[in-house]
Amino acid sequence: MPDVHSLVNEFILKLKKRKVEGSQATARLAAVLLRSVISQQRIGYTNQAGALIDAVKAVGEQLVAANPVEIAVGNIVRRVLHIIRDEDLSLTTAAMAGLNLSAVSDDDDDDTSPDDHPVLSAAAVAAAARSTLRPPSLQSLLEDMPDSAAVPHTSSSGGDSEGKSKSADKNSRSRKLKHDVIEAVNELIQDIDTCHEQIAEQAVEHIHHNEVILTLGSSRTVLQFLCAAREKKRSFRVFVAEGAPRYQGHLLAKELVARGLQTTLITDSAIFAMISRVNMVIVGAHAVMANGGVIAPVGLNMVALAAQRHAVPFVVLAGSHKLCPLYPHNPEVLLNELRSPSELLDFGEFSDCMDFGSGSGSPLLHVVNPAFDYVPPKLVSLFITDTGGHNPSYMYRLIADYYSADDLVLQRKAAPST
Amino acid sequence: MWRRSASFILDKREDASSQQEPLTLSPSQITAPAMTETLRNPSTNVSAYYQTRAAHYGVITSDWLSQAQAAVGQHSVENEVRSSSSNAVDSGSGRPFSVIEEFNNWRKQPDLAEAVAAIRALAAVIRSSEATTMMELEIELKKASDSLKSWDTTSISLTAGCDLFMRYVTRTSALEYEDFNSAKSRLIERAEKFGEISCKARRIIAMLGQDFIFDGCTILVHGFSRVVLEVLKTAALNKKLFRVFCTEGRPDRCGLRLSNELAKLDVPVKLLIDSAVAYSMDEVDMVFVGADGVVESGGIINMMGTYQIALVAHSMNKPVYVAAESYKFARLYPLDQKDMAPALRPIDFGVPIPSKVEVETSARDYTPPQYLTLLFTDLGVLSPSVVSDELIQLYL
Amino acid sequence: MGAQKKSSAAAAARISDDPEELSRVPLQAVLLADSFTTKFRPITLERPKVLLPLANVPMIEYALTWLESAGVEEVFVFCCAHAKQVTNYLQCSQWLSQPNFSVATIESHNSVSAGDALRLIYERNVIHGDFILISGDTLSNMSLNRALQEHKERKKKDSNAVMTMVIKRSKLSPVTQQSRLGTDELFMAIDPDTKQLLYYEENTNHLKGTLSLDKMLLIDNPSITLHNDMQDCFIDICSPEVLSLFTDNFDYQHLRRHFVKGLLVDDIMGYKIYTHEIHSSYAARVDNYRSYDTISKDIIQRWTYPLVPDVLLFGNSATKLEREGIYRATEIVQSRSAQIGPLTVIGNGTRIGNNTKITNSVIGKGCSIGSNVLIEGSYIWDNVTVEDGCQLKHSIVCDGVVIKSGSVLSPGVVLSFKVVVGQNFTVPAYSKVSLLPQPTKQDSDEELEYADNNSDIETSPIAGAHDNLNGELTSDLTDMQSSAAEELGSGGAGYIWSICEGASEEEWRHSVAPVPAEKLAEISQTIDDDLDFSYQDGNAPASSGELKPGGLSDSDDDDVDANNDSAYFEKEVEATFLRAVHENVKVDHVILEVNSLKLSYNMEFAACAGAIFYSMMKLALGTPYNSSAELYNAVVNVLTSWKRLLKSYLSGKDEEIEIILKFEEMCSELAKELSPLFTKILCFLYDKDMISEDAILDWESEKNYADESDRVFVKQAEKFLQWLREASEEEEED
Repeated sequence: MPDVHSLVNEFILKLKKRKVEGSQATARLAAVLLRSVISQQRIGYTNQAGALIDAVKAVGEQLVAANPVEIAVGNIVRRVLHIIRDEDLSLTTAAMAGLNLSAVSDDDDDDTSPDDHPVLSAAAVAAAARSTLRPPSLQSLLEDMPDSAAVPHTSSSGGDSEGKSKSADKNSRSRKLKHDVIEAVNELIQDIDTCHEQIAEQAVEHIHHNEVILTLGSSRTVLQFLCAAREKKRSFRVFVAEGAPRYQGHLLAKELVARGLQTTLITDSAIFAMISRVNMVIVGAHAVMANGGVIAPVGLNMVALAAQRHAVPFVVLAGSHKLCPLYPHNPEVLLNELRSPSELLDFGEFSDCMDFGSGSGSPLLHVVNPAFDYVPPKLVSLFITDTGGHNPSYMYRLIADYYSADDLVLQRKAAPST
Repeated sequence: MWRRSASFILDKREDASSQQEPLTLSPSQITAPAMTETLRNPSTNVSAYYQTRAAHYGVITSDWLSQAQAAVGQHSVENEVRSSSSNAVDSGSGRPFSVIEEFNNWRKQPDLAEAVAAIRALAAVIRSSEATTMMELEIELKKASDSLKSWDTTSISLTAGCDLFMRYVTRTSALEYEDFNSAKSRLIERAEKFGEISCKARRIIAMLGQDFIFDGCTILVHGFSRVVLEVLKTAALNKKLFRVFCTEGRPDRCGLRLSNELAKLDVPVKLLIDSAVAYSMDEVDMVFVGADGVVESGGIINMMGTYQIALVAHSMNKPVYVAAESYKFARLYPLDQKDMAPALRPIDFGVPIPSKVEVETSARDYTPPQYLTLLFTDLGVLSPSVVSDELIQLYL
Repeated sequence: MGAQKKSSAAAAARISDDPEELSRVPLQAVLLADSFTTKFRPITLERPKVLLPLANVPMIEYALTWLESAGVEEVFVFCCAHAKQVTNYLQCSQWLSQPNFSVATIESHNSVSAGDALRLIYERNVIHGDFILISGDTLSNMSLNRALQEHKERKKKDSNAVMTMVIKRSKLSPVTQQSRLGTDELFMAIDPDTKQLLYYEENTNHLKGTLSLDKMLLIDNPSITLHNDMQDCFIDICSPEVLSLFTDNFDYQHLRRHFVKGLLVDDIMGYKIYTHEIHSSYAARVDNYRSYDTISKDIIQRWTYPLVPDVLLFGNSATKLEREGIYRATEIVQSRSAQIGPLTVIGNGTRIGNNTKITNSVIGKGCSIGSNVLIEGSYIWDNVTVEDGCQLKHSIVCDGVVIKSGSVLSPGVVLSFKVVVGQNFTVPAYSKVSLLPQPTKQDSDEELEYADNNSDIETSPIAGAHDNLNGELTSDLTDMQSSAAEELGSGGAGYIWSICEGASEEEWRHSVAPVPAEKLAEISQTIDDDLDFSYQDGNAPASSGELKPGGLSDSDDDDVDANNDSAYFEKEVEATFLRAVHENVKVDHVILEVNSLKLSYNMEFAACAGAIFYSMMKLALGTPYNSSAELYNAVVNVLTSWKRLLKSYLSGKDEEIEIILKFEEMCSELAKELSPLFTKILCFLYDKDMISEDAILDWESEKNYADESDRVFVKQAEKFLQWLREASEEEEED
C-alpha cells in the first residue's frame, strides 16, 4: 500500500518538524491516518484482528517515535487498538455462542485442556476475553489464562470455528470486522471533533454569576468553555495570565473581549497577588496521565500551587483524547520539550554573552525554555472531560474503559527497541 | 522482607548462606519453640481483630455454611460437622494438619511466596478430597484454609492467599462447569497456574518499576523485599545509572543482606542506620519499599520503620513507591497502628535488658495510603485508591 | 513563536504566493555544496565540507531540512569538490524521494569559485524565478516568506533590486575584534528606511578603528546606519538577474568580495542590494573552525530549534535530551563512574570507560573511549578510538582516528581521518594532522581556493615574511615533517601540517579552541596603546614623535597583515604610478586609482602620500644619470610634473612628516646617491610648498630624541632648519 506509506511518512515528517500544533489537531490527524491504514490493510480469514492490530501497532510505533512528547498520538493509536479488540471480541462471542450450542452436545467428556474452548460455555469465553480488555484485576488473575495469550486465542478459535461453517459468512465476517472497526474509528474522530462542544456544554454547571475565573495562556477548550457560559447569560469576570514566553494569553484576552467578557490581563508573576480574588481556576491541559497528573503549559504548576494555597478549585479541561494510560515517571524531563531560547531573549542582544571564543570555551549563559509543567494530581480539584467531571483519582477508571491493558507497552517498546 | 515467626528455620538457612553473624540467628532459636507452640493449639495468638473479621466479613460466613450443609443433606452434615469438629479438637491425623504440612513443604522452596505455598496446599486438599459435590468440596476447603490461616494469623499474605483462592472457588466462572470432575480438575489446574502467575508477577513488577528509575537518581530502600530487589536488578541490567541507600533494618539487619545483593550487581550502595533516614532524605529521589500486605485502604503493612520513612518522604515531597504482588492484597482495614494482629519478634539489644523495662517488639507498622505515591503490582501501576477499588470489586 | 509561527508561515507561503504570481514558479534554491576555501583543510581533502558532521549530523542535512521546511520546492545542489561523495550521500539519503521537494545535483569539476558555479547554473538555465542562494554549510531555522515577500514587492517597484541579503545582529567580541563566528569585523552601511545595503567591508580588523566611506554615499542618502554588529548569514534571495550578472562580469569570483562590492561600487547599472534582518530565528554559516565550535554549541543550546538532535532525528536513532543539555542516543554503554558533563552529545553505540570525564563535547557514533580519559570542548566524530588516560581539549577528531593511551591533544588540534596518535605523545597546539602530506602548491587539490582573507593569498613575499616572522615555529614544524613516520610518536601515522599556509597568527583566531588568556591580554594591551596612540596623535603633534616608533613597531610584530598590506599597497601604487607615467594617464585618473587602492587596502592618506613619493623617487632614480646634479634635476622634474598628484594626498602635517620620514628612510637605505641631495630636495619641496615649514620643524623635534645614526639628515639639514626657525621667529615678531 504505497499510498498509505506516503501518508504515514508525511505525517511523521510533520510530527518531527513540530508542524502540527495542539493535541486535538494531532489526535484527529492520527485517527484519520489510522483509519486509512485499516481500510487499506487486507486481512485473511483467520485472525483478522491480529493482522489489523499488528498493522496499526507498526504504524503507531513510528508515529510515537516521531514525536514522543505529543502524547495524543500514542493515545489515539491505543484507542484504535482497543476498538479493534473490542469489535473482534463482540463478533467472537457472538460466533462462539452460536457454536457452543452445537459443540457441547457432541463432546461432553471431561477433557480439560485450557485452550479447548468449545467445552467452555460462551460465558466463560466472554469472561476470558473481557479480562483482556479490562486491565488485569484480581479476578482476571485467577479466572483465565494470562492476558497476552488471550487475544490470539479467541480470534483464532473464532477463525477455526468458521472452518466448520460456510465460506460465505467467512467473507461476510471478515468484511464485517473491518467495517465495524472503521465505523468505530469514525465515531472516535467524531468525538475528537466535538470534544470542545461536549466540554463547553457543562460550563453552566461550573461557572456562576459574578464569579472570577483565572486562566493562564490560551487553550481553545477554555475559550469555548468560557464562551459557552457567557452565551448562557452568565456574567462573570476572567483574569488571564499572559503565559510567558509565548504570551498566548494576549490572544485569549482579545478573543474574550470580542465575545464581550469582562477580561483582566495580568502577568504570570502576579498570580499569587490576584489569586485571593479568584473563585475558580480553569485551564487547559496538554495531557492527563493515568494517576491524574497533568502535563500542562509551563507556568500552570505555579498557578495550581497558588490555587491550593488559597483553596481555590483548580479545574482542568481535557478532551478524552488527552487521557494517557501511562503513569508519569520523571515527567519534568521525559515528557517535556525544550523549545528555542529565542522565545525568551533576543539573540543579537545577548550574542556577546555567548561568545565561545574567549574564556573557557564553555558557555556561561544558558537559556532554557521548557514547554510543559507537570501538575501533580493532588493539586487538581476536578477534571472536566467530554464525558463529564471526574476526580483525579478516578482517571484510571476512564482510562480502563478507553484502553486495553496490553496496548500500554506500545510506547515503551518504541523507546528502547529503536 | 520481614520474615514472620514461623518461617525462621528458612531464615536461618538463608542467613547462614549469606554469612551473617549469629545475632540474627538468635531470634530464630527463640521462636522455633514459639512455632511448635502455635502448631499445638491454633487459637493462641489469634488477635481479636482476626476473629471479628472472620465473624463479620469472613470469606465464607457461618450462615452460608449452614445453607451449604442444608444443601448437602442433613445426615451427612451431622457426621460431617461432628467429624470435622473432632478432627479439629483431637488434632491427630486429619485434613487440616496435613494441610499445614503440605504448606510447609511448599514453603521450603526458597523464592516461592507464602501465599502461593498456601494455594498449592489447598490445591493438594482438593486433589486428596473424596468429596463428590461442589458443596462438600467447598466445606472441606474452607476448613482447610481456616486452619491454615489460624495456624499463622500474623502472616498477611498467607491469609490473603487463602481468601483469594476461596473467593475463586466460591464465586467464579469455575462454578459454571457442567460436571463436578471437570470443575475439580479445573480448580487444581488453576491452583497450579497461580504459582506460575505469582512467579511471573515479580518479573512484571520489575519491568513496570524500572521505568521509574532514571539515570543518576538515588533510591532509598527499606527492608529486604525480593520484589524490590528484582526491580533494582532489572534496572541495573538495563544499564540504568542509579545509586541506592539501604537502611540497616534493625533488628534483623535485613538491610545488610540487600546491600550485599546490590554490591554483587555493582550498584553503588550506601548503608544508613535506620535513624539516618531524615538526615539523608534530601539526597534521595524516590523511596522503594516492599510490603507484607496491601490493605483495603490502599495503605500497606510492612516492616517496622516504613511508616516513618513514608512520613519523612512525604514531608519532603519525595515519591514513595511500593512493589507488591497482587496476592498480597488482603481484606484488612486497619484504622491505626495497633489495629492489627501484632507480629511480635524479639529484639536483641546486645546488652541484658532489666525485666522492668518494657520492649516494643511489634515487627511491622501500617502506612496509610496518603503517604504512598504509587504501587507497582502485577496488575500494573496502581495508585492507592485504585488498589482499594480492586479489593472492593473482588469481595463485594 | 518558533515552531508555531513557522508552521503558519510555511502554510501561508504556499497559499499566498500563488495568487499574486499568475504564472506560478516553484520556489527554487541553489545550494553550493562547496565552500571554495581551504579553511577546513586537511579534513576537506578527504571529505567535502558539507558532509562534515555538526552535532553528529552532516551539515547539508541541516541546510536541506531548513529549505524543505521553509517551503522551497526545488533545490539544485552544486557539487564541485568531491562531487561523487556528495551525490552518493544524497542517493542514500531520503532527500531524493521527497513528495513535494525535489533535489537535483549539478556536478562540475572545473569550477574554482562561487562565481563559476553560478555561471554554470546560468548556462544550465534551470532557474526560472527568484531563488534562494545558500552554501551547504549554512544553518538556519528562519521562515523565508516575509523576506521573500519584501523581495518580491521591491522587485515590483524597482527591477534593479536584484538581491536581498539576510543579516542578523551579533556583537563583536571587544577584545579580538572578531564575531563570535570567528569572522572578521564586518562593516555595513544600510539605509534605515529602505534597508538598502550601501557599503560592505569585511576585512576591517587592520585599519585601526578608522573607516572611510565614499562621501557620495552621504550625498545620495539622507540617512545611513553604519553597523559593525551585524552578521552576514550568507542567505541571499536573488532574482534571476544575479546569474546573468555573474555571466556578464566573468571576473566575479567571490560572492561578497567581488559580486556584492562590485554592485555597490559601480552605480552604472544601478543594481541594488537590500538586507533583511532576522531577530527571533537563527541563521549562521560554518565558515571556519571557530564557527564550527560556536554553531555546534548553538545547536546544543537549541537556538536552532527544531533543528536539534532530539527533535529532528535525521534517520538515525532516537536521541534523548536529559537535564542540563545532555543528549544521549539510546544505546550507550557507559561506566557508572564516568561523568558526562553538561552540553554534551553522545552518539549511538558509543562506549565510555571508567572515571572518564566528558564536558561540552560532541561524540559520534560507535566510538570507544577508554578509562580516565578527559574530553573537554572537543568534537569527536564516528568510530574513534580513544585509549586510556588520554586528554583531549578543544580539538576536532575525525572518523576512524585512533589515539593511543596517554597521549594529549592540546587546544586547537585537528586530526583528520584515520590518523593514529602514538602512545604518550602530545600533539602541539593548533597543529593539523592528516594522513595526506601537505600539498606543496595550494591549487594542487580539487577544492580550489579563492582569496578569502588577504592572509590566505599565497604569494611569495608574505610567505617569506611569515617565515622570518615566526621562524622558530615553521622551523620546528619543518623538521617535524622531515621525519614523517615518527611525527606522531611511536606507532603514530600522519603528517603534521605546517601552519604557515594560513597566517599562523590567525590560528588562534579561527581554531576550535577558545582564545588563550595570555593572547587576550596581549591583544587588549596592543589595542589600548593603539588607542592612546591615535588619541595623542590627534592633539599633540609634538609628542607624537616618541609614540610613532611604538605605533609602527606594534603594527609590525603583532599585526603581520597590516605589514603585508602596506608592502602590497606600495607595490600596487608604484605600479599604478609607473603605468601612469609611461601611458601618461591623467593625474585625476591616477588619483582615482590610488584612491580605490587605498580603499581596498584600508590605508590612510599618509600611507598613500608616502607610497607615491616613494614611487616618484624610484622613478627619478630609474632615470639614468651620472652626476648628483642630473639626479637632482630628474627628481625635480618628476616632482614638478606630478606635483598635483602628490599634493592631493598631502592634506595635513602628518602626511608631510610621513613623506620626510619616507624620504629619509630611502636616502639612508636603498639610494645612497640621494643622501647628499637630501637637504636640497627638502627645501625644494618646501619652496614648492609641498611640505609646510612646521612639518619640517616637527620632524626635527621628533628626531631630537633619536640616536645619532638617526640624526644624520637632521644634521645635514641643520642650516636649512636654522633658517626656517629664524624665518618663523621673524614672522612671529611682526
